[in-house]
Amino acid sequence: MPPAISVSNLSKHYKVPEREGGMKAAVTSLFNRKYRTVKAVDDISFDIEPGEIVGFLGPNGAGKTTTLKVLSGLLYSTSGRVNVLGFEPAKRPHDYLRQVALVMGNRNQLSWDLPAIDSFELQRSIYGIPAPEFKTTRDDFIDLLELKDLVNKPIRNLSLGERMKMEIVGALLHRPRVLFLDEPTIGLDVTMQRRIRAFIREYNQRWGATVLLTSHYMADVEALCRRIIVIHHGQTLFDGELNNLVTQFSSYKTLGVSLPNPEIDLSQYGEVLTRDGARVTLRVPKAKTSQVTANLLSDLQVDDLTVEDTPIDDVIDSVFTSTEEAK
Amino acid sequence: MNSIKLALTYLRIGVLNEMQYRVNFFIQLLQSFISVATGLIGLSLVFGQVDTLAGWSRPELLAVMGVHLLMGGVIRSVIQPNMERLMDDVRNGTLDFALTKPADAQTLVSVREFRFWQLVDVIVGGVVIGFAFFQLKESLGFLQLLGFLAALIMGGIMLYCVWLMVTTISFWVIRVQDISNLFEGLYAAGRWPVGIYPDWLRTGLTFLVPVAFAVTIPAEALTNRLTSASLLFAFGMTLVFIVLSRGLWRLGLSNYSGASS
Amino acid sequence: MRRHIDFYLATMRMSILEQIQYSVANYFYMIGMITEPVIYLVVWTTIAKQQGGMAGGYTVGAFAAYYIIWTLVRNMNIVLTPYAWEWRIREGRLSMELMRPINPIHNDVAFFAGWKFVVILLWLPLAAILSWIFKPAFEIRLMEVIVFFLAIWGAYLIRTMLLTLLGMISFWTTRVSAIFELYFGLELILSGRLVPMTIMPAWVQNLSNYLPFKWTFFFPIEALVGSMTDLQLWSGIGMQALWIVSGILILNLIWGPAIRRYSAVGG
Repeated sequence: MPPAISVSNLSKHYKVPEREGGMKAAVTSLFNRKYRTVKAVDDISFDIEPGEIVGFLGPNGAGKTTTLKVLSGLLYSTSGRVNVLGFEPAKRPHDYLRQVALVMGNRNQLSWDLPAIDSFELQRSIYGIPAPEFKTTRDDFIDLLELKDLVNKPIRNLSLGERMKMEIVGALLHRPRVLFLDEPTIGLDVTMQRRIRAFIREYNQRWGATVLLTSHYMADVEALCRRIIVIHHGQTLFDGELNNLVTQFSSYKTLGVSLPNPEIDLSQYGEVLTRDGARVTLRVPKAKTSQVTANLLSDLQVDDLTVEDTPIDDVIDSVFTSTEEAK
Repeated sequence: MNSIKLALTYLRIGVLNEMQYRVNFFIQLLQSFISVATGLIGLSLVFGQVDTLAGWSRPELLAVMGVHLLMGGVIRSVIQPNMERLMDDVRNGTLDFALTKPADAQTLVSVREFRFWQLVDVIVGGVVIGFAFFQLKESLGFLQLLGFLAALIMGGIMLYCVWLMVTTISFWVIRVQDISNLFEGLYAAGRWPVGIYPDWLRTGLTFLVPVAFAVTIPAEALTNRLTSASLLFAFGMTLVFIVLSRGLWRLGLSNYSGASS
Repeated sequence: MRRHIDFYLATMRMSILEQIQYSVANYFYMIGMITEPVIYLVVWTTIAKQQGGMAGGYTVGAFAAYYIIWTLVRNMNIVLTPYAWEWRIREGRLSMELMRPINPIHNDVAFFAGWKFVVILLWLPLAAILSWIFKPAFEIRLMEVIVFFLAIWGAYLIRTMLLTLLGMISFWTTRVSAIFELYFGLELILSGRLVPMTIMPAWVQNLSNYLPFKWTFFFPIEALVGSMTDLQLWSGIGMQALWIVSGILILNLIWGPAIRRYSAVGG
């Protein structure tokens, strides 16, 4: 089966006018415009199989939203080939649009003053969803997200989290085969984030939809994606399983030590990260983990000791900073 | 006085801010030009039919147009932006920022905003008035000028007071934004001397939205129609409006509660 | 095709439901908007009275009729401001609309069309009040009413095309206010908004026959309050149709390049 999304040597360059400050530069720029080429996306390639949930990670300006926009058809590439479900997204053919969905956190599509149920009806007519199919899907989603009592209330009377749930339902009513999610849980509280993630996972499992997700929240990525693509400066730094990212890039482990005596100084064993009363966390090079653990246990009276991988956030951070230093 | 210093500070900031957008100067100039052009076309259509309108000659009506433009510039540069921002603040609950500053709240919310480029209308209006005078082949007497300036200032103050009163109502009834639209419509009536309007409208334009005081009375001063009775009346009304608006403001403020998010 | 009709009906229904909730706001807007024709009416009534009852071929009653119907026609031809395109592009809202398998312009047309139904309903009491105050003189035939009803929707569509085309200039440059303001200035003079076109000098009337403005304002009003022959009435509808079709053709030509430009630069 062909991949759902196929990207070959995709590049997106922007020409940005460049000018120094000052009067002289202002005048000369009237005659001689200098441009600088910004490579928002620089020769990236990947394939995504149907049914995969892939996370895009990268700092702001890394190129992930640009990539998403090229894939959804909102942006033209400078070079390279993009294929989604057998279509060229840039042409934005209606048959293509009816099979994909772009959800951007914070962007409202539903009518503010009317109950969601009315907006859903509008979605039905936009996408030409046959009535019986529409009704089943809609009622399914309402059940899954427990929205039964809320669909008849005007959107403006709902909380932010409830609104976001409605937006997601509205966006998926036409059962798209590919979802582009840009920061879907931004601004929501923890419970709501979990609900939405669960829903996306359910949607993916039930209908085998392909999901492309960008997020700042590692929790989103950890919960949903097995595969992640790390983008920085428009290039892919890493494309593979999340676990491998940790093992590949992380050279530290985190030790959590609980002592009966909080006064003891542990700095000789490793880098002290936090100290919270009797609980201390240490950062220790991976290779030295067993040695340090053994030393701690033999030298001190330890109540509890845990060994953990570096939190993924820190890993990503260090990936970016190391590439910064390398440049 | 503290309020004056405050106003001047905001003025300076507003000017510095807007100087960055020099293109706005040209856009504003174009808008004024279009306004004057359509006004002149309107006038020539009128005077293609008659020689005077309700006793006003063509150059005299030109003067009215000039005053209307000038006062419009004052409203759009100072009064309207501040009142609209006040409405937004009440609606969004951000008025608290203004209330916790060590200055009289009413002064603060009245001088914060300043659309510098709208002053172009004041200048263009002045030019139109000057041109009207040239056509009248009269010279502006000192007393006349004084009367004109006094009428203008009082009219401006009265318009501000009414704007403030209506905006203060938004303390109680949140949805007042559409009022701006209504005001602009009513102000447009000042383009012609209020004498031509039916009684009920003229009353409204005098006592409710004092467009008569803002445009017609100053224009009367310029065209030698102003009586000292009218000027005294204007003075009296100004005091009334000031007292009423200040009273309503204080009432509104004491009832104010930040809008919940 | 059927999907488009379905979409229009659904959107119009949503629009009506929404706007009913905003009746008060709508009324404020309409009242603010009525001041403009009332001013024109008072000025021209004054002129007519000074001349013994007529000015430019209109009696006081005729002027009242003209400007009262003006208020309905004006409400019908208020459409999405061209500034909205500038806003849409800048705020990235256009991107979301482009992801739907329907051209966003359809949404604008359908949404405002639904709104117009609410507006017409709200207008009726206002018209009654204005008639009571200004005492218009009406002589209406059935044919005029039929043509009028078609003409106000024709006016709506023509002005929609015109302002959409104007708004689309924002795809190529953001310095658009000058162009917009010039347009509105011209429209004021050439459409019958300021005064009935028959009061304008002959050369202006001639010029306006070749431009679309008169068909958005003067024609619908005159159809009802004037005394046009059946031939004139229906050829007027024909002219409206011509302008609408031309507008659609030009829009189709420009839409592709506009979106290509948008997609090259990014929203």
